[in-house]
Amino acid sequence: MATLDQKSPNVLLQSLCCRITGKSEAEVAHQFQYAVRVIGSNYAPTIERDEFLVSEKIKKELLKQRREADAALFSELHRKLQTQSVLKHRWSVLYLMLSLSEDPRKPSGRVGNYGALFAQALPRDAHSTPFYCTRPQSLALGYGERSAGLPASVGTSGISSLGVYTLNGPTATPQSLLSGLQPVRLWVPGWPGPFLSAAPLPPLWPLSPLDRCLGPSVPSSRVVRPRKDGEVSEAALVRDILYVFQGIDGKFIKMSAQDNCYKIDGKVVLCKSLRDTSSRLAELGWLHNKVRKYTDARSLDRAFGLVGQSFCAALHQELKEYYRLLSVLHSQLQVEDEQGVMVCTESSLTLRRLLVWMYDPKVRLKTLAALVDFCQGRKGGELASAVHSYGKTGDPQMRALVQHILSLVSNPILNFLYRWIYDGELEDTYHEFFVASDPNVKADRLWHDKYSLRKSMIPTFITMDQARKVLLIGKSINFLHQVCHDRTPPGKITPASNSADTPRDAAELLSDLEGAFQEKIDAAYFDTSKYLLDVLNRNYLLLEHLQAMRRYLLLGQGDFIRHLMDLLKPELVRPATTLYQHNLTGILETAVRATNAQYDNAEILKRLDVRLLEVSPGDTGWDVFSLDYHVDGPIATVFTRECMGHYLRVFNFLWRAKRMEYTLTDIWKGQMCNAKLLKTMPELSGVLHQCHILASEMVHFIHQMQYYITFEVLECSWDELWNRVQQAQDLDHIIAAHDLFLDSVISRCLLDNSSRNLLNQLRAIFDQIIEFQSAQDSLYRSALEELTLRLQFEEKKQQREEEGQWGVTAEQEAEEKKRIQEFQETIPKMRSQLRILTHFYQNIVQQFLVLLMTSTDESLRFLSFRLDFNEHYKAREPRLRASLGTNRGRRPSNI
Amino acid sequence: MASAANANLNAVRETMDVLLEISRLLNTGLDMESLSICVRLCEQGINPEALSAVIKELRKASETLKASENSTN
Repeated sequence: MATLDQKSPNVLLQSLCCRITGKSEAEVAHQFQYAVRVIGSNYAPTIERDEFLVSEKIKKELLKQRREADAALFSELHRKLQTQSVLKHRWSVLYLMLSLSEDPRKPSGRVGNYGALFAQALPRDAHSTPFYCTRPQSLALGYGERSAGLPASVGTSGISSLGVYTLNGPTATPQSLLSGLQPVRLWVPGWPGPFLSAAPLPPLWPLSPLDRCLGPSVPSSRVVRPRKDGEVSEAALVRDILYVFQGIDGKFIKMSAQDNCYKIDGKVVLCKSLRDTSSRLAELGWLHNKVRKYTDARSLDRAFGLVGQSFCAALHQELKEYYRLLSVLHSQLQVEDEQGVMVCTESSLTLRRLLVWMYDPKVRLKTLAALVDFCQGRKGGELASAVHSYGKTGDPQMRALVQHILSLVSNPILNFLYRWIYDGELEDTYHEFFVASDPNVKADRLWHDKYSLRKSMIPTFITMDQARKVLLIGKSINFLHQVCHDRTPPGKITPASNSADTPRDAAELLSDLEGAFQEKIDAAYFDTSKYLLDVLNRNYLLLEHLQAMRRYLLLGQGDFIRHLMDLLKPELVRPATTLYQHNLTGILETAVRATNAQYDNAEILKRLDVRLLEVSPGDTGWDVFSLDYHVDGPIATVFTRECMGHYLRVFNFLWRAKRMEYTLTDIWKGQMCNAKLLKTMPELSGVLHQCHILASEMVHFIHQMQYYITFEVLECSWDELWNRVQQAQDLDHIIAAHDLFLDSVISRCLLDNSSRNLLNQLRAIFDQIIEFQSAQDSLYRSALEELTLRLQFEEKKQQREEEGQWGVTAEQEAEEKKRIQEFQETIPKMRSQLRILTHFYQNIVQQFLVLLMTSTDESLRFLSFRLDFNEHYKAREPRLRASLGTNRGRRPSNI
Repeated sequence: MASAANANLNAVRETMDVLLEISRLLNTGLDMESLSICVRLCEQGINPEALSAVIKELRKASETLKASENSTN
């Protein structure tokens, strides 16, 4: 109201004053000043700015006066008014008229009762600040009585009002008039802003306790003492203090740089109690400076981030409330000045009064200063955690304050969070959110590497579990978009996605973390993960691929593998360098077409391929052949490169074991076919017997191995995997289950580092089997050759006898004998070769068994029992006996 | 232009008439001039509560003065 232009309210007010009192401008100066002050201090209305409400009130008022016709007339007029667009503040005008309205039936004579009171009371009332109520006279009114007189709007205005009195009825006793003379509302900006008013807190400035404790004591506190010379008056100190409250040096109280506090100038003559009180009050200035410095330094720093900005905003808000309080105090002081020195006025400001009034603001400022100290150097989620930790206090006021700040501070975090879990978007320029994204990661590693949790930025009111879920939700959405190229709008994935959350929601979520927030996250998590799994299963056949791995790479499809081996055998015995991938691919296709594999999904068969491992000199086809399965796109997230490497290793092992079975079958077939033929050569029976024994030993071994691999390794792990995949809630579960499956298969197939020895023994056994096969083959070859020669000899003999010649000449017979002799001489050589083979083989098996016995894996120990079920090897190998014994002694329950 | 200004003037006059009627209904005791001052003040965003309080006080003051003048006379 400083500027005075033609249309300024001041000019209007003045003319209004003249008009109503009917006097000239000079005469109404007094009233005019009063009017300006009242209006100036009541700029914001306490009532709802709602035209409808006001008009309803007017109607009600008219009805109360039994003027129904007038009420109808009013509504008519009001409607007319509404059609005009001239007025912007219709409610305001209406409200004014409502409050000026008088019941025409009541005598309006009461005005006269005020009589001469106004003339002197007006100036006093004009400066009556909020603390008007502290006059002793007003104590005559009970608290309840007065509070009943408060308009209902006070409670909802959001500003705790003070000293709001309406006329206390028409009766005119001097006392009630004194208090009643102030129909004006003057209010202290209650420090808690509108946000706190909803909380069931006691008003910051409780009316009656203040009255009661201050009221009676006030007169005594203002006893005028005889002044010493040069002593500073209390009023001057109060003025100083008010400056100090804002961090400005006063005349007597100054900031002392070396002590970092406000100090009263030492030269000033002052009584001790005043000095003491003022230094206690000066603390507020120090606290204010601290908070102010922080906000000033940070509020322009963009890199401080959104969370930091909102923290500064919250601090600003608090400071603003504090300034409002100060401005009220200032205006009070000003009024006193204009009055001249009125030392005895009970309502004037004193240091003691300030001490009491400033108590609550001080506590608040202290909390803020502590917060500022604690939050130094923190940002983002860390800052929110720091604020949150301050909320764990028993003081309800402090808790409410911190809670409010927290709700503001966490608002950006929650905004990030909702953006992330509903849209999958990360708009975190200043790295404040607890989900970090690495822009260098390509789409194929998106799931594994792109997003990570920033541990330090997780606010303490969000648990680790929730944070992980949040990460997963957003990751799933991004995965769907970028890898699966799924363009479903996010709203369809999570039906409850209303990402526009207001700060009120934020505050609610914080106070009710267990319920709504958790539920929201859980719902989003559940929906998104389910949708992702659906897409993967439906569009990308994840489960089918998993089964295909089992069937092809882990040899689950028996007929196909057997047929493939049959077809490949002639190719694979050749040296590895002479193999060609295209030939093998053709064979693979033939095998697929000839077996049940042909009924498999084309999508899967398309990915099946042959791969040749690196060739080292001397390798045969068997060593380098491998099946391969191409994975790409989304399923490559589950079947990563490492996973495929593992699969190839396992396939290699299984393929080798399968080949042993296949070889032994061949050996057995040879034995069966040749047994009858070679019966005629009794000298061979010993060797053959040896062969049979060794072969059956090997068959037993390989059968047990196959049993172990098939049932104890593959089927068990597969069953576990399948159960887990069925129960999986998100992709991470599936990946984890799959990795676990592969790990267990690898370690149980003796492919991990710890069982390298075992694997080497096993390889040696396999080599022995191959060697035995070639030895037996050569044995049969020479035996069969010999047999045909003998048969030819006999045939010739018979032929000649039929022709009437000598069956054999002596010469021929000698030759024949010599040949037989020679053949029989090779038999011991064969026998010894076989014996050496047997010996080697048994040695290796025994070593293998020893290793099995000492292994930590229970299933491997059981395998050793199965391999040596009749304690054949145990009888030969002392170490086996020893280890068995110790084992028995150690765990008798197991055996 | 002139007709627009005229229409505007008419609207203002009509509005004031309606307001005066309401004011009469409610027995506010405001005459045309004070009402127009009040309306202008309200249009500038003055708090109507405070304004009404001021008016009441002014009335009381003038009554008192009149009464005291009367008694001295």
